[in-house]
Amino acid sequence: MLQYETVFIGDPVHTDEEIDELVKGFEQIVTAAGGKVLKVEKWGKRRLAYTIHHHEEGIYVLMTLECPASLIKEMDRRLRMNERIVRHMAVRVENELQLGPSPMMRPRPERDDTLVEPLMAP
Amino acid sequence: MRESRESGGRGHDRGRKKQYKKKFLFRKKKFCKFCDEKIKFIDYKDVRLLQAFTPERSKIFPRRISGTCSKHQRKLMQAIKRARILALIPFTSD
Repeated sequence: MLQYETVFIGDPVHTDEEIDELVKGFEQIVTAAGGKVLKVEKWGKRRLAYTIHHHEEGIYVLMTLECPASLIKEMDRRLRMNERIVRHMAVRVENELQLGPSPMMRPRPERDDTLVEPLMAP
Repeated sequence: MRESRESGGRGHDRGRKKQYKKKFLFRKKKFCKFCDEKIKFIDYKDVRLLQAFTPERSKIFPRRISGTCSKHQRKLMQAIKRARILALIPFTSD
């Protein structure tokens, strides 16, 4: 069994409860297939860098899984079919598995995070 | 007649070239940020870090300017592309 990170972007019209329901559904699928859910992290509503199907915002959820490869295929199919989901991506975690909070959960500095940091001295 | 000219001619140009070269010689040495800070793994979720390497038009900052080593540049490239898929950072900005 391998470790994967799945991130999906939910349609922003949904409430937190609806998203929780969605996550619960996926957790059931994973455990039913003999996998384990190692971490679920909700990043909340974020502004998208570009519009996806006319959506300006999205609700981000990260799930870290340990499951057989066949399940990722199945998850991919389900995520694609689900109309509540705008975009999804699954990547394999090789040797950098982090179960702590991801950089996304770091407190935002005083200024907006959309700003481009000054580049390194040439 | 020719000797009385103050500027122009080959001699003048040569002087300018030399000055430019001198400036270039004293440029600060470039270094790889990731090697320096001992960052082994570049996370696609670390938007702030990636934004520093996608200036203005959101193009990936080239190695020849940023000084990133090839190993880390490859990892950085992968992370930036993943973040773009998730709309965390733009593919292009106007």
